[in-house]
Amino acid sequence: MLTIFKRILKFGFLGFWRNKSLSLQVIFIMGVVVFSITSIFLFEQVGNFLIDQSEQKVDISVYFKKDATEEAMLNLKQDLIVFTDQVKSVDYISKKEANEIFIEKHKDDKFYLEALSQVQEEPFLASLNIKAFSPGQYAFIDEFLQSKESENIIEKVSYSKNKQVIDQLFYITSNVKRAGLVGGIGIALLVILITFNTIKLTILSLRDEITTSRLVGASNWFIRGPFLVQSILYAVASVIIFDVIFVGFIIFLNAKMQTLFLDFNLVTVLKSNGLYLILAQLVCTILLGSISSFLASRRYLKM
Amino acid sequence: MAQDDKPLLLMIKFQNLTKIYNTQAGKIIALSNVNLEIAKGELISVVGKSGAGKSTLVKIFTREEKPTKGGILFNDVNICALKGKKLQEMRRKIGVIHQDYKLLADKNVRENLCYVMQVVGVCDSTIDKDVQKVLEIVGIENRICHFPHELSGGEKQRLAIARALIHRPEIIIADEPTGNLDVYNSYEVISLFKKINEMGTTILLLTHDKEVVDSLKKRVITLDQGKVIGDDKKGRFIL
Repeated sequence: MLTIFKRILKFGFLGFWRNKSLSLQVIFIMGVVVFSITSIFLFEQVGNFLIDQSEQKVDISVYFKKDATEEAMLNLKQDLIVFTDQVKSVDYISKKEANEIFIEKHKDDKFYLEALSQVQEEPFLASLNIKAFSPGQYAFIDEFLQSKESENIIEKVSYSKNKQVIDQLFYITSNVKRAGLVGGIGIALLVILITFNTIKLTILSLRDEITTSRLVGASNWFIRGPFLVQSILYAVASVIIFDVIFVGFIIFLNAKMQTLFLDFNLVTVLKSNGLYLILAQLVCTILLGSISSFLASRRYLKM
Repeated sequence: MAQDDKPLLLMIKFQNLTKIYNTQAGKIIALSNVNLEIAKGELISVVGKSGAGKSTLVKIFTREEKPTKGGILFNDVNICALKGKKLQEMRRKIGVIHQDYKLLADKNVRENLCYVMQVVGVCDSTIDKDVQKVLEIVGIENRICHFPHELSGGEKQRLAIARALIHRPEIIIADEPTGNLDVYNSYEVISLFKKINEMGTTILLLTHDKEVVDSLKKRVITLDQGKVIGDDKKGRFIL
């Protein structure tokens, strides 16, 4: 059994090596598969990054009345923290802190600082800065805050002003994710079809070999095995070649991408997810190649 | 050693073998109720014009095709009913030399021979010895590393014979083995068959070459339009 297995491996490797032009063609087609997987990965990473960046800029601010006690304000903060599914973070900014933030922000602007010094009483209100896990959850938080209006400590809530922006953002992010999934599935199906046909044509070109092997009494797996080995070799070769070229491009393009996509650092993303990407590339191409080879060779093994 | 006057064991029996091809132009009867018996150790020439049904006979025997009616008993086993592993085992007992050689193009001479042995799991040391021996028998030991496309017609034919012979089959079927050869190579190939037959292997030689048949002086079965029209033990070519 081991002898036959070793022979199958050897025949597979010899078939891969000796039919160089055929092997290169299949490797090129499988490179398209690797490219598709990588594109889906990049689209997801860039998309998630941009969505995260956008969502971080969105929040609800609750401004308290001047006479609201700190105890009441902190109680409201505690009430909000309880909503662990919706509320990501709640930051309390006292009047003093708001003042300090303003001064720090405009430290180089003498006009603003002079205007501030002219004001006799503190112009800033204490506030809560609330961030949700997703834009769709702000409506819930706003409803809760409206229910708290009877306590008479809230001056205003910024949600109604930003509602349209938040709703639009939620609509866009949901659709981007959905589009990514649909697009990804579409590309995957197309690529599967192309790869299957390429491998089918490869095996078609070797049908005389398969027939001869059958006539000398070779078993199905003895004939099919080398084709499966070749498919695996095509897959591995295509991943290696593509990734070498891809890494070169990334090193070259990373600076430009950071400018275009709000400091999105692809090198950092690849360092943390590179292994998973390579694994996904290998698994997909090997599976695709093996299944295609198995199905394509079935036809000529029926004799 | 096969001799006509010694009683021989029955090896192959063709029973009412019929093959009809359905084509767009209509039905083609390739074989029609062929009944034959072949004994172990015989050297038989099967003769007929092109289209007589000789190659169809080989294809049914090797199960490239299935018969429309009838069957073939090989060592009392109906090979037309075999499937899967049993069919593979049957194919390992026969050596076929095809008209178009059917060599493995991406394997060199040595690898083409080794393949037949590797299929059944023979160890490498045994394979090496047998390959060397068989190459010397057929006379192409100096072409061991060449690929089929680098060989002449005669060398390809010798390689095909070597591949048919190497796993010590019970029967060798040669379909037009001299069809693509010159006179000198044809003579050498036929001498080789005689030598192989003298070692005890049953040989079925399919040919339309009268000179080959006459030189053998063995049993001649004549096919015409799919029917057996002659079975002459004295080796006469009647077409």
